[in-house]
Amino acid sequence: MQWFESVLVALGSLRANKLRSILTLVGVIIGVTTVIAVVSVISGMNRYVASTINQLGATTFFVTKWGIITSEEAWLAARDRKSFKALDMEAVREQCESCRRVGGSVETYRKVQYEDRSLADVNINGITPEVLQMVDTRLQEGRLLNESDEEHHRRVAYVGMELKKQLFPTLDPIGREIKIAGTAYTIIGLAEEKGSFLGNNMDNVVYLPMSTFERQFGRHRSVDIFVQVADVQVMSSTQDEVRAILRARRHDKFKADDSFSILTSETFMNLYRSITGTAFVAMVGIASISLLVGGIVIMNIMMVSVTERTREIGIRKAIGARRFNIMLQFLIEAVTVSVVGGIVGIVLGGSAAKILSMTTPLPASIEWWSVAAGLIVSSGVGLISGVWPAMKAARLDPIEALRYE
Amino acid sequence: MLIATRDLWKTYDMGAEKIHALRGVTVSVEKGEYLAIMGPSGSGKSTLMNLIGCLDTPSQGEYVLNGTNVSSLDDDELARIRNKEIGFVFQTFNLLPRATALHNVELPLIYNGTPPSERRRLAEQALGTVGLSDRMTHKPNELSGGQRQRVAIARALVNRPSLILADEPTGNLDTATGQDIMTLFDDLHQQGNTIILVTHEADVASFANRVIHVRDGQVEREETIARETARR
Repeated sequence: MQWFESVLVALGSLRANKLRSILTLVGVIIGVTTVIAVVSVISGMNRYVASTINQLGATTFFVTKWGIITSEEAWLAARDRKSFKALDMEAVREQCESCRRVGGSVETYRKVQYEDRSLADVNINGITPEVLQMVDTRLQEGRLLNESDEEHHRRVAYVGMELKKQLFPTLDPIGREIKIAGTAYTIIGLAEEKGSFLGNNMDNVVYLPMSTFERQFGRHRSVDIFVQVADVQVMSSTQDEVRAILRARRHDKFKADDSFSILTSETFMNLYRSITGTAFVAMVGIASISLLVGGIVIMNIMMVSVTERTREIGIRKAIGARRFNIMLQFLIEAVTVSVVGGIVGIVLGGSAAKILSMTTPLPASIEWWSVAAGLIVSSGVGLISGVWPAMKAARLDPIEALRYE
Repeated sequence: MLIATRDLWKTYDMGAEKIHALRGVTVSVEKGEYLAIMGPSGSGKSTLMNLIGCLDTPSQGEYVLNGTNVSSLDDDELARIRNKEIGFVFQTFNLLPRATALHNVELPLIYNGTPPSERRRLAEQALGTVGLSDRMTHKPNELSGGQRQRVAIARALVNRPSLILADEPTGNLDTATGQDIMTLFDDLHQQGNTIILVTHEADVASFANRVIHVRDGQVEREETIARETARR
């Protein structure tokens, strides 16, 4: 018997048993929907995080006293390290040959006021002008900080959108005077909105010239040194060059570890992956349980179907159907149900992810591979859960089967 | 010689005791014969029919059907033999309830790989032979008992088997319809088909040329019926 015939026979019996087919479908649909929705949300988050982290760019790294702190011990060790001074940054700028841009950044969190309005815990960054070329910020209005501001210790500020929203809901902020921890600064530029990242409002930020910052808040903070290279190819060699310069300045012992950390966007991506990877695997695993349940539903209903159609199987065998024919018929039924369920599930799961991303802050992206995996897995589930009932059907003794009432 | 069995035994192992359903049956049937197998229930005639119909294999002995020794074939080989050599007609019709008459008749052809257009032509022809050309798209529950049995006979004929094996074909029909079906068998026999009829009714058996009486798993006696007496 040709395959085509088996498909027709299978489809015919699915149509003839509508309720049973629909119930089976529901089982598969729920499973595939859940998996697709979960995978879409996860991959959406991954993409979103990756694009946000990559704002630093593939050609930029920075050197910090702190590094990524994941334990109290690491924090204690980092705390005891020598701070970076503006002079260290200057040294890198002068000595590093493959560095295209070098800049410095210090930060603190302070209250910002405009007349009777105020905003607490604003991220105040003292930066050299190069840094604005390296971090992802786009000018919406006014101008950026420049060399002259830095040189003349001007009290000027480049601010994020959150300040405009909270302090100047109806006014143009450019040229207005705000107070940062009591000292007056003139706003010279407004950055485009960036939104929030992992619960962090990235627009709640003020950039000041580093010289001005240090005059107000002191020089004791460790400076983060930002470096941009001309080409991705020289990323690691430039890191080595900078490392050598700074180790020499800090008198790090020959075999001792660096007394500082060099961070790239890749460092952050790896950190994100290590934190979330296991959780994501667990989420997909839990979602897959519903797919497993779908498979068991198919198996259960196929079993009932085999018993219910014992006589039909007997007739087919008496007339000349071989084991393979009967097995194929039932397998195709199972796979058809699961593939149809898989397709419906993919559509539903994709829509669920879309709706979720539109109504909640969760991002979602539907990946072609998750659609392919959904189809392959659901037909696999159908195949596996159909095998046992199909074998049972194929092995029936025609005499017994014909006698079955 | 179409059928030659030699010393067929069928033994069922029921745990403690062994039940001998057949105890050495030797039967031969020529091509074109019309044979009835008679016997009361429990006589072993159903077991004999299952063996002759290749639905089962003997515990002992030999069965040659149309030149093939089928005594020790496996499940799939038996299925192939059944498809090619035997057309079954059952007491309870055994049609697929959700399929049309035409599809039911096509079924044996599906399993031997006949292409669809040829299948349809042969099935229509077989339904014509049993007088159901106008009922081809009906499902079994839209047909009378007699019509259902005619569909089953068409299904048995469609593959041009060397043997038509009918098991109590009139058992579920009223007398008049039963008569019609027996007349149809008669016609098929006239056209050269070999027919084996399994029954416990002497009236039905009387349509055959030859009757084998089975009792206690053995052939009790054989009788040949003259053509004239067979025809009422």
